[in-house]
Formats: sequence, structure tokens, C-alpha cells
Amino acid sequence: MDATKRKAVFALFFLSVHALCLTGCWDRTEVNDLAIITAAGLDLTEDQQLELSVKIYLTSSSSTPQMGGFSSPNSGGAGLSVVRSATGLTVADAASKLQQLISRKVFWGQDEVFIFGERLSRQGFVEPIEFLMRHPGPRERSNVFVSKGMAKDVLQLAPPIERSIADSLRKMAKLQTGLNITMKELAQMMGGKAKAAVLPMVEIKPREASQDAFAFINGSAVLKNGKMVGRMNKVATRGLMWLRDEIEYGTVTVSPENAGGNVSFQLRRSHTKLVPHIRGDDWSIEVRVETWDDIVENATDLDLSVPKHIEQLRTALEADIRQRTEMALAQAQKEWNADVFQFADAFYRKYPKEWNRNKDRWDAIFPKVKVRVEARSVISRPGLIGKSPLIPNQR
Amino acid sequence: MVEKGRISAFQMGRMIYLAITPTAILTTPAITFKFAKQDMWISPIWAFCGLITLYAVFRLHAIYPGRNIVQACEAVIGRLPGKLLGALFLLYYLYLIGIILREYGEFVVGSFLFTTPLIVVSGSMVLVCAIAVRGGVEIVGRFAELLLPAFVTLFLFIIIPIIPDLRVPNMFPIMANGITPSLAGAFVLQTWFSELISASFLLPLVADQKKAKTSVLIALLMIVLTLVVANLATLMLLGDITGGYTYPFLILARYINLAEFFTHLEAIFMAIWVLGAFVKICVFFYVTVLGAAQWMNLSDYRPIVFPIGLLVTLSSMWVAPDLQKLTFSISTSVTFSAMTMFVIVPMLLLCLAWVQKRWRGTAAKG
Amino acid sequence: MKWTAVLGIAALLALMAAYEWPKTKGKKEKTAFAAIAVLGGLLASWLVFYPETPGPTQCLDALYKPLVKMIENLTQERSG
Repeated sequence: MDATKRKAVFALFFLSVHALCLTGCWDRTEVNDLAIITAAGLDLTEDQQLELSVKIYLTSSSSTPQMGGFSSPNSGGAGLSVVRSATGLTVADAASKLQQLISRKVFWGQDEVFIFGERLSRQGFVEPIEFLMRHPGPRERSNVFVSKGMAKDVLQLAPPIERSIADSLRKMAKLQTGLNITMKELAQMMGGKAKAAVLPMVEIKPREASQDAFAFINGSAVLKNGKMVGRMNKVATRGLMWLRDEIEYGTVTVSPENAGGNVSFQLRRSHTKLVPHIRGDDWSIEVRVETWDDIVENATDLDLSVPKHIEQLRTALEADIRQRTEMALAQAQKEWNADVFQFADAFYRKYPKEWNRNKDRWDAIFPKVKVRVEARSVISRPGLIGKSPLIPNQR
Repeated sequence: MVEKGRISAFQMGRMIYLAITPTAILTTPAITFKFAKQDMWISPIWAFCGLITLYAVFRLHAIYPGRNIVQACEAVIGRLPGKLLGALFLLYYLYLIGIILREYGEFVVGSFLFTTPLIVVSGSMVLVCAIAVRGGVEIVGRFAELLLPAFVTLFLFIIIPIIPDLRVPNMFPIMANGITPSLAGAFVLQTWFSELISASFLLPLVADQKKAKTSVLIALLMIVLTLVVANLATLMLLGDITGGYTYPFLILARYINLAEFFTHLEAIFMAIWVLGAFVKICVFFYVTVLGAAQWMNLSDYRPIVFPIGLLVTLSSMWVAPDLQKLTFSISTSVTFSAMTMFVIVPMLLLCLAWVQKRWRGTAAKG
Repeated sequence: MKWTAVLGIAALLALMAAYEWPKTKGKKEKTAFAAIAVLGGLLASWLVFYPETPGPTQCLDALYKPLVKMIENLTQERSG
């Protein structure tokens, strides 16, 4: 009996001691002691220093809305946030100086958005990305953007619809109006065979009469060897997305011949396949695009319940796709020599030996790669009406 | 007999599975990628050392039933050399368990509990394992039985939500340079496969001996399958940068974002890992303790559990000055020494025993 | 600071002994316990003062150096 009792005491003792350790005593931090970062921006200052700005989300139990420093005086939406900045030699250096300005421990775990300022992007990205990959805090799934101008300015915004600028940007990226690139994907592109990458660009629409300024995604930044070399506008970006098989939503408007008007389609599904071919010294890629669309607006005098007209529309649609992709291709191949479509990977997967032999010459080969775009679209449905009752004389 | 407990063949299989897989999915994907690149998922299939080791274990047990490899040493090569070899064996186990514990600690501290001293993490694990081991093989067996479903479920919990983010093209071209890359990648995995020698210590304790062989072979199959799936998933997610990360599987868990709801799942990964490491360290710890007790001809192994626990903790602190050296050693000298001790030595013993048996057989006849 | 560590080790050993000693039957077992515990204690104390002492890894590394070099050469050829 006595032995069992002693065992019981010891067991209880051990358990209680361990319960103390369960909380991870050393590394414990209360939520109240954390400065939760929702978005971070990196800029290059005039004197070539890295400026790190962070948007800190204030939990409801903390301070009053108005704070000094660099905060945005207006808190749109439901959440309150504050922006703090600090400069340093490296990102980590700036981060530690930033900590000096904040009363709580900087917590990267909820940081879903990283924005790189344009000047920094043109200078070079490699260092900040190195930090983001190595440090265990920042998450690989966060979205990355390049901003037109200073990233800090984007962070200052407080858009009305979402809780914070971070949510706002992230959701816009998800809607795929432009590109949606996570940090992991950026690292893969930069470390990959093509040594070229693309990122969505964020632009600020300035304050107008009764409307506050807000940010939106407009176009993409093209990077080569870790530096930004150019910018693609919205239309070229769409072409780019077609080639990267990233189109998910979209409206395409075409104006068929002899139709006297425009027809608009809504994309339902799309699939792009890259088929590389190497014949001797001839490197070429066949791009097969397949889309399924619905008609959403018909302002022509074509009666769309007639199958022959659908054929006509299909041709027009396919021509449109070809045009957009060719625009993107022209820019990437001729203007910047940046393989942002990951053609390098496509060649490697099918022709590893040839690739290994020529990989150092990719910069010379890429602009000469012949690309043939073959689009095949299926117009699934004409929407809810067939022959439009509003437009007479449809043939 | 020093150990009076018995485990079922089923439990033994589970113990073996959990004794090998957890640490394998932690660090090996990165090392395997460095050698095999996109063929890294083929590497676990080359489980040569596993098969050889198991063959040696079972044949030796057939010749000397009821004895594990340390005891068999004495029978095969005589008392004094046998004792020496056995001691070497046990010391090597002590060394290996130090490495395992260190790996565990470094991961927990490096990825989650940055400021906690390593010794606290290692020490607490040893303490818990010591208590379990002191309970006997049945306790350890039951733990393995209990925790295996949890381990597998959590593993699937990480693999399945990440499927939408996996890019199949990352695994092409398959075998572009022939078999060599995947074989090279398999090299470091041989350390883990040769750890199957632990089966030698568990085999005498199995109640239903007939099923033991099947159970262990199934365990080996499951190990290979798990590793292939883990490697494949990691490859399809990270592609070219797989080798850059020290713990690619952790990155996998961090990347999961299903319906904006299943996020930040690295805590689950940590849970799998602690569970798995716990059973692994228990099994190795138990083997060391049992082996030591038998070597010293003690009647009971329980008193020496805690002192050996202390040695184990010390071993983990002593094996390497820092993580880089540890990783380097694991991919080089540890593989060689493990293959020597766990594959070559048992096979030599087996050959000797086989020769002896035939010799004695003919001598008896003649 | 280092001496407190040694004291800590001693305390740990005492705790272990307090728990195990009354339980162990048999002289052999008691000696085994004592021997390993003392060995552990000495090693722990030694490492407190000289943490840089080369450990078994260094020993094995040296032993297998030639093989390691061979592997390194093989990998250089292929991955380069």
C-alpha cells in the first residue's frame, strides 16, 4: 500500500512539473504582447538604405484610434491599424530597428502581404527575399507585390471594403485580375532555370472628390536576375496569364467582322499547355489554349441562336486570345529578354539533355524561340436569351 | 530473462515503423534532393540496407532463437570478443540515440521555441521516455500501437490539404540521368533503413513469433511508402528550391491554405513529429537499456534506465557543436558507420554463425 | 555559473539515487546503477567545463574520411 502511495505521489509530482513546461515557458508570449503585422513594405530610401514599413493590426483591447508617428488618421472599415517604419542596412537590421519603435514584439505570423517599392525592385530583390526565406517568421504563402512608387504609401491606405489593406490586396490577387504570386512561387521563379519572374503591380488611385484613395492591381512587374526590368500593362498581363495557365476569370470582348457591334464573353474555364519542340538548332513552343466561355452581352446584329454565327464568334475569340498572348510574348522576348513564362522549365522537362547542354545560352536562345499560339475555344452557353428581343433585324 | 514482458507481432511492426519514419521525413527530403533532384521520390524504394539487415536479423534469430544480436555475438565469436563487440554495438546505439535526440531538439528549438535552451527540450523528452521505458517493452509497444493511427492521420492531414497546390510537372523528367541520381539520393536513407536492426532486440520478445516476419516486412513496406509520398509531395510543391530548406516537409505544412480555413497547420506537423520522435526515442532507449542490462548480466534493467537517460542526454549535447556539422555528419560519416555496424557486422556474424553451424553439424555427424 | 551547473548535475544524480536505490535488489544491479550514474555525472561535469571536447562524431568523421572524400568527388562531378 505504501509503495503504491509513493508511486502516486511521484507520478503526480512529475505530471505537475511537466504541466508547467507545457506552456513553453521560455518562448511564451501573450497575445497582448504581440504587434501583429498584416502587411509589410520594403523601400529603398534616397541614401540607399532599406526602409521597412509594417502595418500593425490593433486588437480591440488595445489603444485609442488616434496615434502619433506615421499612422493613418483615418480608420476605414472595422479594424484599426497603424504604420511604422524604420531603416537599416539589411532587412533584419531594419526589422530590429523597427522593434525599437514598437511597444510589442513584432509578430510576422499573420503577415499575408509583402510589397516591394519600385525603386528597390529596380535595384534588386535578392537580399530581401533571402531574409524572408531564411527567417522562420514570414510565411511562404504570403502574397508579394511591387508597388508603383513607395510601398509605404500603399500601406498607409485604409480601404473601405475590407478590414485592412492587406486583406484588400490579397483578395484582389485571388480574384486574378492580375497575377497571384506567393513568396514561395517568387522564390521558385527566381531560383529556377529561367531566372526571370513576374509580380503583380499595385497602383494607388488617388483621392477624388468624395472618395478616398485606394489601391488596386494594375499590370505586372517583370524581373530578370532579381531586378525589375520592365512593366507590363493590363492587356499584356492578361496575355501573360494566358501563357502561364493562370486565367480563371475574365471577360473578353470581340468585334466580329460584318457584325456591326461587339460581343462579350465570360470565361468559365481555361487550360493552357506548353509543348516544346527542338529540331536541331530550332527551338519552338506550341501553346495550346483551350477555353470555355459563355456569352454575356450581344450588341451585334447577329442572331446567336444560329450555329454558323457561333463559329464566327469563336474565330474572333481565338484571334483575340492570340493577339493578347502575342503582345505579352513580344514584350518578354524582344524588349526584356525575360522568360517569365517558364519556357525554360518546359524545355527541360521534355529535353533534359539538350537543356543541360544549352542552359548557359538561354539568354541568347530565348528571344529566338518561335512561339505558335493555338487557341481553341468552346462557346458553351449563350446566356439566358437566344435571339435578342431588343435588337430587331438579327440575321 | 531480463525482460518478462511480451509484445505482439503487430505491436512490433508498429514500433519498427515509428522507430524509423518520423526523423526520416524531417531532414532527409532536403538531403535526398541535393543528390537526386527530381528523382528524389524514387530514392526510398532502394531500401537495400533494410532488406539485408532484416535478412541478417531473422536468420540469426533462427540460429540462436530467443537471443538478440548482442547476445548472439558471444555465442558466435566467443565470450571475450563477443563482449567487446557487444559493447561496441551498445556504445554505437548510445551515439545514435544522441544524434536522434539532438535532431529532435534542434528542430523544435530552431523552428518553434527559439529561446528555449536545447537541454530543456532534450531533457524533458528523455525524462518522459525514461518513464515509459522503465515500464517495460509492453508499455513501449502499447504506445506505438496507440500513437500510430494518430501519426498516420496527422500525416494525411498534411498531405491531403496540400494537394491543390502541388504541381505535377515538377517531377519530370523522370530518370533523366538514369538510375544514378535516385541511388545517390538513397545513400543517406540507408542510415534509416539500417536502423531496422532494432528488430533484432524486439524479436525475442514477440509472443506470436510466426507472424513477426510478416509484420516487420509490412512495416518496411509502409516506411518506404510513407517516404515516397512525403518526398513526392515535397517535390511537387517546392520544385527547384526543395534542397534550399532544411526542413522541406515543415514548409509543406506551413503552406497549406484550404478554403482559407485550414491554415497555419505547422502546429500539426510539430505534433506528429513530437509523437513520432517520442516513440522512436523510446524504442532506441529501450534497446540500449535492455542490451546494456543483458551485457552486464543484470537481473533487471529497470534501475539503469535513468542513468542511461543521463548518458543519452549528454550524448545528444556532445555529438556535434552545431546544426550544420550535425547535418553534414548525418549525410556522410553516420551513414557509413550505421552501415558498418548495422549491416556489415550482422551479415558477418551471420556468415560466421552459418559456417559454424555447418561445421558443428558435420563434426557431430563425423 | 559553471559550478551551479555541476551542483545541478549532482542534485539530479541524488534525485535518481533517492528514487532508485531503495528499489534495486541485488548488489550487481546497485553497482551497475552507481557505475553508470557516476560515469554520467563525471562526463556531464567535464562537458560543462570543456564543451569543445571532440565527441564521437569527430572520431567517426576522422575514421571514415577517405570514404567521405570519395563521395564528395562523385557528387561534385554530377551536380556541377
